[in-house]
Amino acid sequence: MGLKIAIVGCGKIADAHVEEIRKIPSVQLVAVCDLEPIMAEQLASRYAVPHWYSDVGGMLEAEKPQVLHITTPPESHLPLTAQAVAAGCHVFLEKPVALRHHDSQAIIQTVVTAQKKLAVNYWPNFEAPALELRRLYQTGVLGTPVHLESFYGYNLAGEYGTALKRDPNHWVLRMPGKLFQNVLDHVLNKITPFLDDDEPLIQAIAYCGDDAQDRSPSGQLLDELRVTLRGRQTSAYATFSSHARPVGHTLRVYGTNNTAHVDFASRSLVLERKQTFPSALGRLIPPFLVARDHLRQGLRNANRFRHARFHYFDGMRQLLGEFYLSIERDTPPPIAYSEILRVSAMMEKIFEQVYPEVFA
Amino acid sequence: MKILVTGAGGFLGANVVERLLAHGHTDVRCFLRERSKAERLEQLAQLYPAAHLEICCGNLRSKSDCDRAVRDVSLIFHLAAGLKGSAAELFADSVLVSRTLLDALKRRENISMRHTRVVLISSFGVYGVVRLGRGALVDEQTPLELHPELRDTYSHSKLRQEQLFWEYQQKDGFELVVLRPGVIYGPGGGAFSNRVGLKVGPLFFHLGGSNLLPLSYVVNCAEAIVVAGTHSDAAGQVYNVHDNELPTAAQYLRAYKANVERIRSLRLPYFVTRMLASSLEAYHRRSQGQLPAIITRYKAAAAWGGNTFTNAKLRALGWQQLIPTPAAMATTFQYLRGQGKK
Repeated sequence: MGLKIAIVGCGKIADAHVEEIRKIPSVQLVAVCDLEPIMAEQLASRYAVPHWYSDVGGMLEAEKPQVLHITTPPESHLPLTAQAVAAGCHVFLEKPVALRHHDSQAIIQTVVTAQKKLAVNYWPNFEAPALELRRLYQTGVLGTPVHLESFYGYNLAGEYGTALKRDPNHWVLRMPGKLFQNVLDHVLNKITPFLDDDEPLIQAIAYCGDDAQDRSPSGQLLDELRVTLRGRQTSAYATFSSHARPVGHTLRVYGTNNTAHVDFASRSLVLERKQTFPSALGRLIPPFLVARDHLRQGLRNANRFRHARFHYFDGMRQLLGEFYLSIERDTPPPIAYSEILRVSAMMEKIFEQVYPEVFA
Repeated sequence: MKILVTGAGGFLGANVVERLLAHGHTDVRCFLRERSKAERLEQLAQLYPAAHLEICCGNLRSKSDCDRAVRDVSLIFHLAAGLKGSAAELFADSVLVSRTLLDALKRRENISMRHTRVVLISSFGVYGVVRLGRGALVDEQTPLELHPELRDTYSHSKLRQEQLFWEYQQKDGFELVVLRPGVIYGPGGGAFSNRVGLKVGPLFFHLGGSNLLPLSYVVNCAEAIVVAGTHSDAAGQVYNVHDNELPTAAQYLRAYKANVERIRSLRLPYFVTRMLASSLEAYHRRSQGQLPAIITRYKAAAAWGGNTFTNAKLRALGWQQLIPTPAAMATTFQYLRGQGKK
């Protein structure tokens, strides 16, 4: 039998963890746990997980998993990580890593000291187009990144958004960075691998894009965020929008050789190449080249669909596979800890500007 | 006697409050999540000026809000439940909320559990109808679902909720009355139950065919809840709730087309639905869930297997259908037609 996996935290995202774990044949999900027994019971019941617990210590002792997935709200991540590594577990952590940057640092330090491994659920970065983008960058096709644009749309009328609006005490709204803190990892973790500065200059503005929100029970919620980042030679612009439609999720990397556009929503990557055609042909031909790229992407996606590799959380399956392999082979985990901490530090700087009263 | 109605701002909740007032109850606390849903309740307060209608807003996931909700009440109509969202949310909004409410009842010092009555609004979805033959009668003796994980998450959460209430009732000895409505419909509700069929894009797949629809017009349903909830003989009992004259799914769809809008529908016989479900299920399994298993053979059997129903136990208690089915359908279709024009 391969790695034994357990999950603590049986909220909505735990479903995705269970489903992706089950797609990896070499591992076994042995138990789930939640402080609320009913929540642990329902998850175990729906997915036929052998055991469920309401006490994480009891679960770790009885099941002795090698990996603990922590899918609880972030304020519990540090103590749970400490408890997990003390019980001999590696940790797969749901984002955001922690409420404050110093807690993120403590989490990484805890894992490193215990000589265990940790990964954070940066799953979109492990989808096929994101992996292709990484290859284009590493092989020099893009050249040196000059500027990046990361866009992340959010639907407040969707399943996640509705849950927030209906419950003023929702754990997302209790976080000091509120709605942004729950999603900003996904906006920034696409930028950090290309940004040439550990401490870029950051300017952030946030506002509420919906006047009607003032009448909601949760009061006014900042739901639009714009961030500019300036590294040594590379700049970036990050957008979080709750009102732009369609709800997009994109990354654009402007390189000194070529520019790449990744659309995470439609799982496509299009390369905009340096112009080489003369005169009017230079204006005539490029749209056809872009169309060819889109067609290729469509066919690749159809092929992935045919081979049942086109699930919503396919990137998570890829990430988990790499993480579990790094444990089995004792190789570095798929996401460098320095990247995790850079994202965490950038988030803290953004929140200091957006919510100065909390982060001062 | 102070009465609490949870979920009072909902489709059914406001009607239950109205029926309570119509039956002469004068002290009702209406608990709802958002003040914006209180419009109908405020109208009722004006219609019944002699009654004390207390509108109380909060979230039943909160212990303190639950304490506030149950203070000084001896009769609780628990209608609040999760209707949509993820599985975790449905369980949180139906089961966790119920446990928080029941714990709040236990914490009270001025009213003992033995002097408290709780009326739970459960669902037809809790019955284990898959094992029954086609055309079998569903009554209150029909066994509960043994494999709720194979059903839709709503039914799963409602079954767990009902089990929780019986567990607490066994331990704490309060009076429990459970009502299991069929398909509640009326102004403010939706147009189609899954029992009629499923809309996929512009096409409506009519899957219910000649199956009886256990319709319960919202006013009639509310009346049933109030009659059973306040009847001394109802303690410890379960009642199925549906109207007396039940149309078939096909009759309902035909009437909808004639009175609301022309929609394109495709009728699938049950054996075709089963074959389709079988294929979808096999693909779902083979592709490890690349497409959701919206229809499985188990779900198909539960929704479109075809049963007959009885509300004899409810009628024996004295419930009468206030609004005849033709008038109820006409009012509902008029509302839906108005919605379509908006």
